[in-house]
Amino acid sequence: MFLQQLINGISVGSVYALLAVGYALIYSLLNFTNFAHAITVTIAAFGCYWFQALITPNLPASLLAGILVAIVMGIFIELFAYRPLLVKKARRLYLMIVGLGVSILCENLMIIVFTGRVRVYPEGFPTDSINIFGASVGLIDLIILVVSVLALVCVELYIEKTRTGLAIRSSAFNLEATALMGVNTNRLILTVFIIAGLLAGIAGTLLGAKYTTYTSLGTYMTNKAFIAAVVGGLGSLPGAVLGALLLGITESFVSAYISTSFRDLFAYIILIVMLLIRPSGLMGKADGDKA
Amino acid sequence: MLKINDLHYAYGKIQALNGIDLELEEGEIHAVIGANGAGKSTLMNCIAGQLRPQSGEILLDGEKLPGAPHLVVSKGVVLVPEGRQIFHNLTVEENLLMGGYTVKDRAPGVRKAFEMFPRLEERRRQRAGTLSGGEQQMLAIARGLMSNPKILLLDEPSLGLAPLIVNDVMRIIQQINSEGVTVLLVEQNARKALSIARTASVMEQGRVVKTGPAADISKDESVISNYLGKSKSKKSSGEQIVP
Repeated sequence: MFLQQLINGISVGSVYALLAVGYALIYSLLNFTNFAHAITVTIAAFGCYWFQALITPNLPASLLAGILVAIVMGIFIELFAYRPLLVKKARRLYLMIVGLGVSILCENLMIIVFTGRVRVYPEGFPTDSINIFGASVGLIDLIILVVSVLALVCVELYIEKTRTGLAIRSSAFNLEATALMGVNTNRLILTVFIIAGLLAGIAGTLLGAKYTTYTSLGTYMTNKAFIAAVVGGLGSLPGAVLGALLLGITESFVSAYISTSFRDLFAYIILIVMLLIRPSGLMGKADGDKA
Repeated sequence: MLKINDLHYAYGKIQALNGIDLELEEGEIHAVIGANGAGKSTLMNCIAGQLRPQSGEILLDGEKLPGAPHLVVSKGVVLVPEGRQIFHNLTVEENLLMGGYTVKDRAPGVRKAFEMFPRLEERRRQRAGTLSGGEQQMLAIARGLMSNPKILLLDEPSLGLAPLIVNDVMRIIQQINSEGVTVLLVEQNARKALSIARTASVMEQGRVVKTGPAADISKDESVISNYLGKSKSKKSSGEQIVP
């Protein structure tokens, strides 16, 4: 039971980590929370679903299609929602409000177009369980864990080892000085939105496969990821992963040993306690104009 | 080489540059001196493309300089900003690599920087935020040189440094210049700036009020009384007192 819940918790936590890293990346460069993140998750799940329903029920192809849709959505959000404000050097608070607006607008548009009905992928992951040291673990949870960890490792390598990754790190400290190094910061910001979109796409398609696809999927999941990012310290990538795992494992144990209905309650309790004790989070930075 | 015509810039209603004309010749060090708030840094930020002037033009070899920082760098004009603005979260070496972002092979540049600043090589794996003020300024200059600029814009490189370190910085600027880099040097430490510059301009309230050979400027009555002070020892101790 314990091991089973632990693996389950890490699996859920790794999906939160995908989303929390997306929040943290954008926050580290631009000092605001991209609340439009939720919609990229939802749209990825729907992209995956519709690809299967309309084109071919091939699972890997549909996952890729869903991820692609999320990336395109991320690009759209940056270019049309945020860039006009960034060019005007608007206060970060306005960017956050625009993000919230985009998220609410898109979610409601999706309800109108797709209705609030819950959908199941025609072709999902196998529902078998396998036995690890006496614990029965769902195959899908393992797949989610492996894919998420691989994605996070790739992003980490990209940020640590490449020229663009170095520029992402330098702009997390000082975006304007990074421009003085000859970096096209507009393109860099777009790159970060593409990475965040990619991770959101992976999370969204996997979540759609594990649970079901519905219009508030992204909002529900990104709320949790946002808690994870805040607990870990907004703007810190290791912090985001740490917060996400902490949250996933806590949720898993609360569901197993107390009650499933207390799961979300505990997530918010962790958030409030963290904000009371250490508002900058476990590994966060604290300064300047932020939202 | 660099020619600025009738440049205007305002922060909202506050006019910071009020028709600047300036000319920088190839191979020289040109010092811009003036009091705090005269518009010196604004001028530098306009050249570097960080600020978009309301009117006027900035020409490099007769061609208009683009209005975005990364494009200005690609034209060979690099700003070492006021307050150094090195990346505290990166190592010394990573800071240099960032400076060479536009360069394909960055290894020779890093090697050259370490030759010029052995102290930086000793600390190559250290986080830049842990360096002393003087070392940070050296790093900022070394970082600026990484993209092999034709023109280096230096904004207050002596700010907050001990007098001995200021002398080091000035010597290094001369050395860089002797290797063929044209330098535009903005300084509040007028005496030091004029001592290494070939030509100089004096800025007051967003205007260039005097320009000419540095030797003439430093003999000018009003410059002496306003910027160089009467007693030599008083002003040359710089902005900061060393313990």
